[in-house]
Amino acid sequence: MPDALAIRDLHVQFHTRRGIYKALNGVDLALRRGEVLGIAGESGCGKTTLGLAVISLLPRNAAIASGQVVFDNKDLVNLSREYAERAGDRFRPRKHERVLRRVGKAMTPIRGRRISMVFQEPMTSLNPVLPIGFQVAEAVYVHDPALLARRVLARAKATSQDIRDLLTILQQTHGDEAAVKQFATDRGLVGIEEQVLHIWRRQDIHISRKEKAIRALGGQPMNLFERYVFERAAKTGAVPLQFDRLRLVYWLVRLSVLGYILVLLGRRARGILIKEGYRKGQEILTSLGIHHAERVVKMFPHELSGGMRQRVVIAIALANNPEIVIMDEPTSAVDVTVQAQILELVKQIRTSVSASFIVISHDLAVLAEVSDRIAIMYAGRIVEVAPTSEILQKPLHPYTQQLISAIPTLEGKSVEGIKGEVPDMRDPPSGCAFHPRCPFAFEKCNSVVPVDFRQGTDQLVACWLYEGK
Amino acid sequence: MMIAAYGLSKFFPVRGAFRATTSLKAVEDVGLKIQNEQVVGLVGESGSGKSTIGRCLIRLLNATDGEVLFDIPDSELADYEKARAAGATERLDEIADRFSLLRRSSSELRAVRRLVNIVFQDPYSSLNPRMKLSTIISEPMLSTRFCTRAEADIRARELLREVGLPEFFEDRFPHELSGGQRQRVAIARAISTNPKLLILDEPTSALDVSVQAQILNLLRGLREKYGMSMLLITHNIAVVAYLAEYVYVMYAGKIMEWGAKAKVLRDPQHPYTKALMSSVPVIGETKTRSILRGDPPNLIVPPLACRFHPRCPVAFEPCGWSAEEVAEDLEFLLTGKYYGTFGDGVSLTTEGERTIIIQGTTDVQRIQELVGLEKEDVRSLNGVQAIDVTDGTTVVRLYEPVEPEMYPSPDGREVKCLLFRADATATAENRAGLAL
Repeated sequence: MPDALAIRDLHVQFHTRRGIYKALNGVDLALRRGEVLGIAGESGCGKTTLGLAVISLLPRNAAIASGQVVFDNKDLVNLSREYAERAGDRFRPRKHERVLRRVGKAMTPIRGRRISMVFQEPMTSLNPVLPIGFQVAEAVYVHDPALLARRVLARAKATSQDIRDLLTILQQTHGDEAAVKQFATDRGLVGIEEQVLHIWRRQDIHISRKEKAIRALGGQPMNLFERYVFERAAKTGAVPLQFDRLRLVYWLVRLSVLGYILVLLGRRARGILIKEGYRKGQEILTSLGIHHAERVVKMFPHELSGGMRQRVVIAIALANNPEIVIMDEPTSAVDVTVQAQILELVKQIRTSVSASFIVISHDLAVLAEVSDRIAIMYAGRIVEVAPTSEILQKPLHPYTQQLISAIPTLEGKSVEGIKGEVPDMRDPPSGCAFHPRCPFAFEKCNSVVPVDFRQGTDQLVACWLYEGK
Repeated sequence: MMIAAYGLSKFFPVRGAFRATTSLKAVEDVGLKIQNEQVVGLVGESGSGKSTIGRCLIRLLNATDGEVLFDIPDSELADYEKARAAGATERLDEIADRFSLLRRSSSELRAVRRLVNIVFQDPYSSLNPRMKLSTIISEPMLSTRFCTRAEADIRARELLREVGLPEFFEDRFPHELSGGQRQRVAIARAISTNPKLLILDEPTSALDVSVQAQILNLLRGLREKYGMSMLLITHNIAVVAYLAEYVYVMYAGKIMEWGAKAKVLRDPQHPYTKALMSSVPVIGETKTRSILRGDPPNLIVPPLACRFHPRCPVAFEPCGWSAEEVAEDLEFLLTGKYYGTFGDGVSLTTEGERTIIIQGTTDVQRIQELVGLEKEDVRSLNGVQAIDVTDGTTVVRLYEPVEPEMYPSPDGREVKCLLFRADATATAENRAGLAL
């Protein structure tokens, strides 16, 4: 099976007033399908830059000097890289920004939909003036309005006979997903199945309550105009009557009385879709273990605790069933008891969602818990990648070894700091970037950049000590 | 005894609606002792009041209530404790007048400042960016008249060497240093007046793990060399395990458990400590966790009695269930999971702290069955004492809450949990449930 994502020899440089900061210096990494890949390293080693590079959210002064990020046979960074190659020394952030605008357009169908990201600090990544439900709804509305339109339509079309049949199927098959889907397709009610199954799978309410809730889904009235608009949206994925982008047309239409009515109706239809997004958000939040989700969607970020906010941010990332989820320090802003909750949640969603995960953290113990493989970064390079148990039990790279021995344990074993400082990446050391701090360094280390050596079955280490072994 | 605090409380005023002032009970009724040359760890989640205690102890904040005795001979302390138990106010006042930090005037405090010092959490904001390192380090020496300016300059250089920085750093400014180097400077400043007690407020939480290890080893070395007492405030339990001898565990402004490090960390007794210890991820270990539900409480309106009871996996009858807490869970069950039994039209209202009134059903037996069935998972139902019917409405009465105290355990630790009451006969099975 091909990898979900492949990063090849990626170089990223930040052009600052005080020089060129070489954040990534040749990152080679593959994310396999369905795995959780942990990325660890000290602050300033380029973990977050790598995550941002994957979803093309780097700031305008970041030049992609070379390399590729391959997702679904497409190179996600080619536009940016071509500009950086063309410009060379004359790289100008202003000009790069124009390129980035095109990159943004090209990334819209991917970013947030097929690859999504959970950012550091849930407090700053949620909008304080919008309710939680809107922020989840927005993610779905922007990327997949057709889904929301289908959901609304299905509820309007479903007759009470349909719902009765649906309940019989649910009882007969004990909530079999395929059977319900088949039924929805047969009756032309696609969109109702996920709503029904969500109610059916809830643990906290009684069966008769569930039946009542499912009965309440069907037969909602809808006027002809809205029906037409939603049919169109469900078919083409087009947001109904959105004139905002074409200013002139908007005003011409609006100035006529009929046009104005159209605009109002379109606004109403969009409102219905956003409301539907709230419902969808409520479903996702419930599946992430939030009680009283119907109340939570109406709250604002400041009303929630740190752990809840983190769940909301994860819900937004999962809203469109992405193929890749990047989590940047998902637990570093929360307390240890809440961290335990989030870690259990991550373990649970990886079994229920068919996505691949990249988890970035400075805490190896956190990664040890959730990831299948761990990559260790130092000074903008991956120095070692291996399955979790192997890298923790027999770390090969001297940096990994020292990093692990610096972690204090509950037994109070003696810890050893790594001597020296993280290098200044404006002027990184020659050869292996770790050689000034490495106790095993020899001549080759300070002149030649090490290549990856394969050790054992699945362990890669970038260190000359393992040459020819 | 280096420092001993009794009944220490700190309430911060909070402006409510319509100018009504309430208070945030950041720390309430905390007792804490540090022996000479002892390192004591204070662990807890953010917002549990750890830093507030540290600051109250050395009067960077003025405590709302309580007593702090500093550098008191053990015999006098024993006297004080006896008088406190007997309620002999005159004797208490007499001892407190001599040793209390809270009764010192600001000029007297200046002399005490030489003996206590603090290292703050964030080395990026605790060093004045306009001062050279030599000025930063000699400032406490000059302000407490520890030595003359010329001596202070020489000592500043010595201290730089002491904390592992080259002497020529004395002319540098904080922005030229990395996080680890800054924290070293902060430590140098804190030990400049040879203090007897050092308060370390999250000394490594802003640092990377490799630098953290360096700082921990530095602190360990300093302690062995100078034999000072330390109060180590941190949320990182592994750091406490590395440095401290005794551990206090805090939750929501109260001490939950304290004792020797090996006992508290290896064999925690309080349900909170248990959950805390099992939450810590450990490399090379997959453990079954007891995951706490919910979040720490709002300290403006703290939970009744034990502050941990809303999240406690083994909470039982007298832990402090309020009518509101029980009504919320009961309503959720009656209208959700047991909807088939009770149907529509059930509504709950609370009356005072101890009673809940259920309208729409008088089926006491069914409700009692439900309570019996769900008690294990929905802990708040443990608070239900009796259910009966008066005038066509069902009335649920709750147990009287009991405020837990620090109950001593045979191995020398103290635990603030009703399960450890000496007379806790009926709770033996609950404690067995604690074995998780």
